[in-house]
Amino acid sequence: MVGNDIVDLKEAEKASNWQRPRWLDKLFTISEKQLIHNSENPFVMVWRLWSMKEAAYKLFIQTNPSRFYNPKGFECSISDNSGVIEFKAFKCFVQTKITSNYIISEAHLEHQKLTSEIMKFTTADYNKQSKELKSRLMEFVGRLHHLKKNEFGVPTLYNGREALNVSLTHHGCYGAYAIG
Amino acid sequence: MKKDELIAKLKTIIAPYIQDEEAFKDLSEDTDFVKDLKINSANLVDIILDIEDEFDIRLENEDMEQMLDVKSAMAIVNSKLEA
Repeated sequence: MVGNDIVDLKEAEKASNWQRPRWLDKLFTISEKQLIHNSENPFVMVWRLWSMKEAAYKLFIQTNPSRFYNPKGFECSISDNSGVIEFKAFKCFVQTKITSNYIISEAHLEHQKLTSEIMKFTTADYNKQSKELKSRLMEFVGRLHHLKKNEFGVPTLYNGREALNVSLTHHGCYGAYAIG
Repeated sequence: MKKDELIAKLKTIIAPYIQDEEAFKDLSEDTDFVKDLKINSANLVDIILDIEDEFDIRLENEDMEQMLDVKSAMAIVNSKLEA
């Protein structure tokens, strides 16, 4: 099982104002806010922690089918490019890669390397990007597979014999898929 | 607050964040912020803050948890206004 999340830093700068009053308080714990305030680049730390929480949530709902919005509940601790996230009794391990264009995080139940295949879209349209990302994934796994989302929005690949867990993410002009 | 009035106010709040125009045109109580309107989850918090400002209320973490569709947003706003 895998959960991933990509943040396009240009898009994040444009679409969100993390310095808006109460914005950080709604999403981050006290210790996470300390990480942000003590960081050399608070903007990057905000989006690093955000992508970790999103990746962990996507993994969590595979183990506990449900849908909700509680980013603050997913508590992050970090060291180098790794992180641990705890949500109630759930715990997972996250790897993050930070470039000047994007941040990507990938959550697993065990320590694992980052495997996400990252792409830059040719279109800005959300629905077209979704299609582009899916067709890239299908090219990779082969046409015998088909992709289905359950009622909670969790995608799975089926090939008639087995089911493969997969995680898809897109934001701004970047997208990624991971198979786990 | 009356249903139509509340939906109209929510529609104005949501408008800047939507990524699916067609679904937005057909907005109803059953419209889902993420599945239908394709709102980025990082912007859900902006919607929550905009709702707080517009209605002069404060939403707790438990309220935020349910904020995934128009119906839930309406129920939460009304319960806060009545409180």
